[in-house]
Amino acid sequence: MKQEINIVVAGVGGQGSILASHIIAEAAMCSNDTRREHFKVRVGETFGAAMRGGAVASHIRLGLVESPLVGSGRADLIVAMEPLEGLRNAAKYLAQDGLVLVNRASIPPVDVKVGNFEYPTEDMIVQSIGNLGGKVVFIDATNLAIKAGTAKTVSVVMIGAAYASGLIPCTEEKIKQSIENRVPAKFTKANLDAFALGAEEYRRITNGS
Amino acid sequence: MSSQPVLADGGTRHLLMGNEAIARGAIEAGVQLVAAYPGTPSSEICEVLIDAAPHCDYYVEWSTNEKIAFEMAAGASLVGARSIVAMKNAGLNVAMDTFMTLPYGGVKGGMVIVVADDPAAHYSSTEQDTRFAAAYAEIPCLEPMDQQEALEMTKAAFEISEEMELPVFLRSVSRISHASGDVLLGDLREERNQLGFNKHYKLPFRWNVYGPPGALEKHKWLHSILPKAKELSNISPFNKLNLVPNSKTAIVMAGIGAAYGIDALRRIGLADQFSTLKLGMVYPLAEKLVDELLEGVDTLIVIEEGDPVVENQIRAYVQSNTSGLTIYGKSINKILNPYGELNADVVSEALAGLLGIEYCGDVMSDVRQSIIETVTPRSSTLCAGCSHLGTYAALKQVLKKYPGINIINGDIGCYEQGGYGVAGTTPSPNDDESKKYPNISTYEMLDTIHVMGSGIGLAQGQAHVGYSDGKILAVAGDSTFIHAVLPSVVNCVYSEADITFLVLDNRWTCMTGHQPNPNTGLSSLGEPRERLDLEKVVRAFGVNHVMKANAYDLECLSETIHHALEHKGISIVIVEGECMLQVQRRNRTVNVKTHVIQDKCIGCRACVNLGCPAVTFDKVKRKAGIDPLTCTDCGLCSQICPVNAISKKGRD
Ligand SMILES: Cc1ncc(C[n+]2csc(CCOP(=O)(O)OP(=O)(O)O)c2C)c(N)n1
Repeated sequence: MKQEINIVVAGVGGQGSILASHIIAEAAMCSNDTRREHFKVRVGETFGAAMRGGAVASHIRLGLVESPLVGSGRADLIVAMEPLEGLRNAAKYLAQDGLVLVNRASIPPVDVKVGNFEYPTEDMIVQSIGNLGGKVVFIDATNLAIKAGTAKTVSVVMIGAAYASGLIPCTEEKIKQSIENRVPAKFTKANLDAFALGAEEYRRITNGS
Repeated sequence: MSSQPVLADGGTRHLLMGNEAIARGAIEAGVQLVAAYPGTPSSEICEVLIDAAPHCDYYVEWSTNEKIAFEMAAGASLVGARSIVAMKNAGLNVAMDTFMTLPYGGVKGGMVIVVADDPAAHYSSTEQDTRFAAAYAEIPCLEPMDQQEALEMTKAAFEISEEMELPVFLRSVSRISHASGDVLLGDLREERNQLGFNKHYKLPFRWNVYGPPGALEKHKWLHSILPKAKELSNISPFNKLNLVPNSKTAIVMAGIGAAYGIDALRRIGLADQFSTLKLGMVYPLAEKLVDELLEGVDTLIVIEEGDPVVENQIRAYVQSNTSGLTIYGKSINKILNPYGELNADVVSEALAGLLGIEYCGDVMSDVRQSIIETVTPRSSTLCAGCSHLGTYAALKQVLKKYPGINIINGDIGCYEQGGYGVAGTTPSPNDDESKKYPNISTYEMLDTIHVMGSGIGLAQGQAHVGYSDGKILAVAGDSTFIHAVLPSVVNCVYSEADITFLVLDNRWTCMTGHQPNPNTGLSSLGEPRERLDLEKVVRAFGVNHVMKANAYDLECLSETIHHALEHKGISIVIVEGECMLQVQRRNRTVNVKTHVIQDKCIGCRACVNLGCPAVTFDKVKRKAGIDPLTCTDCGLCSQICPVNAISKKGRD
């Protein structure tokens, strides 16, 4: 395994990106408990004050690490709950050969809604990430979440896809456990279904390509 | 949060946020009183302790400001209890008077002062480094490098405090408080400090700083015990010396600077090449450890977050006894900036540059920059249906009647976004140009913003010095009003200042996460309480012109503000409208009825300028729209539309 693994989970306030980052980090922590001396877990959150509906990004660092922020150009994986936030964070953090998983459903910012800026097209996103030497996979997470029982499970669909990418150093058992620990009990089943659907979707898309 | 990790068994490992780790440290130490005033990034310390309170046996509260919270903790300590007070960087400024004086008499029960600084000012008006304040007050200062240390240091701080009979300062930063790490929990202390009060403890009247033998003697006493603090620093488990034989270069890394430093050394391939001193107890300086570190060293690098606080202590110490040493840091031989925030990227660059290592942090940086420049921003805005939108809309309407250069003094809270300039135009810096500058955007309404409670103070200065080019106003939220505005209102009344003041009463301390305040009607633990009657309070202070208005009735609100502006002397308008997020949490608006009648819309953007994130605009069709997912049917946009094109009645 690599000495350090860097992941950025990005989205819009209220989409559950911080929760998702804690699920991933906890799963990695529990899966590597026997070598805790060489496997630390750090999660740095970046969001502004009172920015409801603002851009949120959570940095996860795993392995031989001390500080909580992913360095510029060092993210092995970016999990984006929203396309514009995927692009924003890929531009800052994506490593060459890094992977970006993007939930296809967009949430246009006010700046776009009031007509001052354009929302980037999917092609622009693919091209920009390609220019950085990375790869992007779009997931219809919002639809899959609804299929799992509630749109609130979007972030867990994305966790499923991220798990299936093989880039998170954790076992399936621990990540499911971590989901159970951190979602309300009455939504456990919907969230575990969401996880499975996300993983399946990632495998379906990447096998086809 | 009933499965709270802060209450889990000792010996188990959890992913904890720094603030949770600090809270756990206090629980492990057997804390007996917790007081705080909310402030990002410190608020979760008290929040977590409030959530855990039903399972523990301490008193916990949100006080009305930091000075009061500080005094709560001090009072508890003087009768022997263990207490903790938490605040953000700016909060210490509010508590400063008591903070500077308490060490003269010292404390009895362990007292821990947690201050969460905010390098890069993510959530603050300043980047102030409060470690200076610990040195200024001459009390021990601890600074964690990660969440594990945050827990252990909090616990140890109580012990140090009791041993030194001084309050102990714990300086956190955003990247500790608002970051998470793997933390091994310790065991809980079972016993609790006995309460008792000794009137003549050691020095006579030690708790009475003014009393005999006088403040000077008490300051001497404080200095007489500082050597003991230095000794504690020399043997502190949080100060770790790692000597590498024959190393000519040494590195001191303090607090979270150690986390960035270690990461950076690994990244540039120099891990374990140099002697290092990792400091966790940063005041007073561990002089013996510094002596050992500097044996045979000619280059010293200091990595710390904030100002050169540790560096300057080392400079002052080695000045007289070490020659041939060059110190690099943030002051004289600057390799890092004394502003902004550190990270492993900047520390790697600085170290590689100084040590002559070839290092390229990011080969794609040019491509990256070109993409970053094209990425659409996601500005922060007030929430859909926020009552502050109503206030600003009404102010805009009323101020049209006053063509002069009106000054709106802002304050701190969600409403400060009325000065953020989102989606607005930038005024020309030229004085004459800026006179013509109208308040069109909701986000460009506030002309001054400094600290909690400062707006109404500035307004009085402007009024009394004779400013007459326009009206003078000030606004502040309800929490801010109670925190810092009350004495200023009295000053206004007594000095007969001619200003208009708006209290933006949304019932909660919203910006920091909806903590209750005396205007909410709930205690810190959520029990019902009688609300403080703001109107009665200001009337009792002698304000005669006080009116209330509903933030969602623009005509009436405008009229009320107009009346207030016509009044000579202080006039107060209490603008009422509960925080829409809280309203929506209790009762989410479903089947939104508000919509734009497309045929009627003339594309004038008056509704867009309201600044509500639920109002959209189609540039091609030149028509406004309403986003049904975020709209709350508050009705403000429909009151603003000049052609009645926004209906609240739902579609036929
Ligand atoms: C001295 C100080 N303490 C705490 C804070 C953190 N803080 C920012 S805004 C705010 C209060 C906001 O409450 P209120 O005035 O009611 O306005 P609202 O956000 O509800 O609109 C606080 C406590 C601060 N900026 N300064």
